[in-house]
Amino acid sequence: MEDFLYFFTFQDSSIAFVVIGITLLGLGSAYVGTYSFLDKKALLGDAISHAVLPGICLGFILAGEKNPIYIVSGAFLSGALATFLTSWIRSNTKLSEDAIIASILSIFFGFGVVLLTVIQKSGNPEMAGLNQFIFGNAIAILEEDLYIYGGLAVLIIITLTLFQKEFSMLVFNPDFGRAVGYPMGLIRLIFNVLMILAVVIGIQAIGVVLMAALLITPGAAARFWTDRLHKLLIIAGLFSVISGIIGTYISFVLPQMPTGPWVVVCLSLLALISFLFAPKKGVLSRTIARQSYLKKTNRDHLLKALHHGLENGKKYLSIEEIYESFPYQISKIKQSIDDLIKSGLITKNQKLIILTDEGKSEAKRIVRLHRLWELYLNEYMNIAPDHVHDTAEKLEHILTPEVEALLEKRLNFPKLDPHQENIPRDYDDL
Amino acid sequence: MITQIDNPILEIHDLIVSYDQSPVLWNVDLSLPSGKLIGILGPNGAGKSTLIKAIMGLVTPSGGYVKIFDKTLEQVRSKISYVPQRESVDWNFPASVLDVVMMGTYGKLGLFKRPGKKEKEIALSCLDQVGMMSFVNRQISELSGGQQQRVFIARALAQEADLYLMDEPFAGVDMSTETAIFNLLKEMTAKGKTVIVVHHDIHSAMNYFDWIIMLNLHLVASGPTDEVISEELLRKTYGGKLNLLTKVTDLIKQKDFNPLKN
Repeated sequence: MEDFLYFFTFQDSSIAFVVIGITLLGLGSAYVGTYSFLDKKALLGDAISHAVLPGICLGFILAGEKNPIYIVSGAFLSGALATFLTSWIRSNTKLSEDAIIASILSIFFGFGVVLLTVIQKSGNPEMAGLNQFIFGNAIAILEEDLYIYGGLAVLIIITLTLFQKEFSMLVFNPDFGRAVGYPMGLIRLIFNVLMILAVVIGIQAIGVVLMAALLITPGAAARFWTDRLHKLLIIAGLFSVISGIIGTYISFVLPQMPTGPWVVVCLSLLALISFLFAPKKGVLSRTIARQSYLKKTNRDHLLKALHHGLENGKKYLSIEEIYESFPYQISKIKQSIDDLIKSGLITKNQKLIILTDEGKSEAKRIVRLHRLWELYLNEYMNIAPDHVHDTAEKLEHILTPEVEALLEKRLNFPKLDPHQENIPRDYDDL
Repeated sequence: MITQIDNPILEIHDLIVSYDQSPVLWNVDLSLPSGKLIGILGPNGAGKSTLIKAIMGLVTPSGGYVKIFDKTLEQVRSKISYVPQRESVDWNFPASVLDVVMMGTYGKLGLFKRPGKKEKEIALSCLDQVGMMSFVNRQISELSGGQQQRVFIARALAQEADLYLMDEPFAGVDMSTETAIFNLLKEMTAKGKTVIVVHHDIHSAMNYFDWIIMLNLHLVASGPTDEVISEELLRKTYGGKLNLLTKVTDLIKQKDFNPLKN
């Protein structure tokens, strides 16, 4: 608790700096990453983030110390080389994109690890902490580093905001952009530069291995919540910042803990929550929608059974008779009976179930839709009468009054369905 | 049968286009009158879309040139509007109908500038023209094929151009939408605009278009509809096998370079 208060009240100005840094980093990378996720270029982010490692090591070797300018430039140049090689190989060979990206990623990363080992064997006392670049350590960020990383993050955010309509066009319909005269090649180049910069600013805090997650996961998780680009960018940024701050806090409390993996754990958790609980697109709300639909079909079938009883001259059905006509579904039927009593469509007298006037009208409506649809299939699609029942059984629950009116009109208010059964109307007496 | 025109709105001179090694358009040479509804007809793989893309500068020709209003494309770009194939974009992109139609105003707006009230008004009036006013805020993935096609046409209208190039605007569209789109195109040509449409159905083409271009890797015909629609030309476009052309294409493919490139 003490740690918590100490961290979040920012008594220590260096903590405040780190939190500002991680916030800017989170916003910048989520912002770029969301566009590349929409552009279906998620793998490229992964390749770039692995490919900056040799640049970091070369920057260190040249500077002889952990000089942020050397390291950032080295990382940027090797990331740029990887991006350029990917597109050059794609346009000059017949290799597929996934093969190219996988090779570039592993070759660059392998070379980076070799360089890292060489540095560690060299006995340079400055090399301590260099392997933090693999998994990241936000707490180890110094104030002078922050000016560079934070400054670059601000640059990314401003550029993306200025070019918002251009980047949207790049992702949605680049050919149209070229047709209206926009320099789409240049815009693609700027976007790639921003993508590399977003990776570069994350190497100290998150590490090269996991930076791709910070690029792609926020956008992918936010996609469950909205269908609008503006909201998507805001939600993605929010997810990214929350995870960044929590990850940093954990590395602060447990000094041996690298930041990157914890940020990714938080992000994955947010993605999982989005996947399960987001309204409309989440698994839970889809399951609930499906369940309530299934319950409605059960209720509809019960109403139909009571209607059939009326057609055969029985004013009511006993509960036993109902159980008999729906074997294996007794608990569902009990539920349906309770629901229908509550909504006033049936009444229960002793053990006898009777349709109310309202219930009669609703039951007629369902039977009518069923038989109208059967007739439509038979007359307009030339489907034999013994083949029309199954689809009608499914569609009777979803046909709207609008479609019903269309069917009535198209079929000229028919009296009988293909099985010569009466199509019930509200004014019919049963 | 190729009818050439004086003072054409569009002149294509000996245009050759190749993808990688294989030529897809051979020496297309034609000129088109203004204020007409013009159809490009031909079988699958005949190079219809490629011709439009070459006019729009989206593919680089191996030879020949295109002149529009007697000028180069760059000089008159703001007067030309392009409707790409509906399948060429990802309709799951998080955008509303209005967002997409607003893109039509981006050309005149220029880089950096944000669309404002004026652009929104243009977009709304174009949506009204294609009968999509009630879908302004709809997510584009929820639209039917015909509605997506209308959104693309509204976006083209928002460009306020004089020459319209449309790639298969009738593809995946039901009969009533087809008629509605066709009537709209008729209105546009009545106002003096020129509309060039890639189309696949010969029967409706006869009724729709004032001028027809028939294409099958090479130019078979270009002229007023009643002069061009003949059994012989249709057979040349759709029926005739181009054994010789295919053989030469194979020859070129086997080389390491494309001899047709400048």
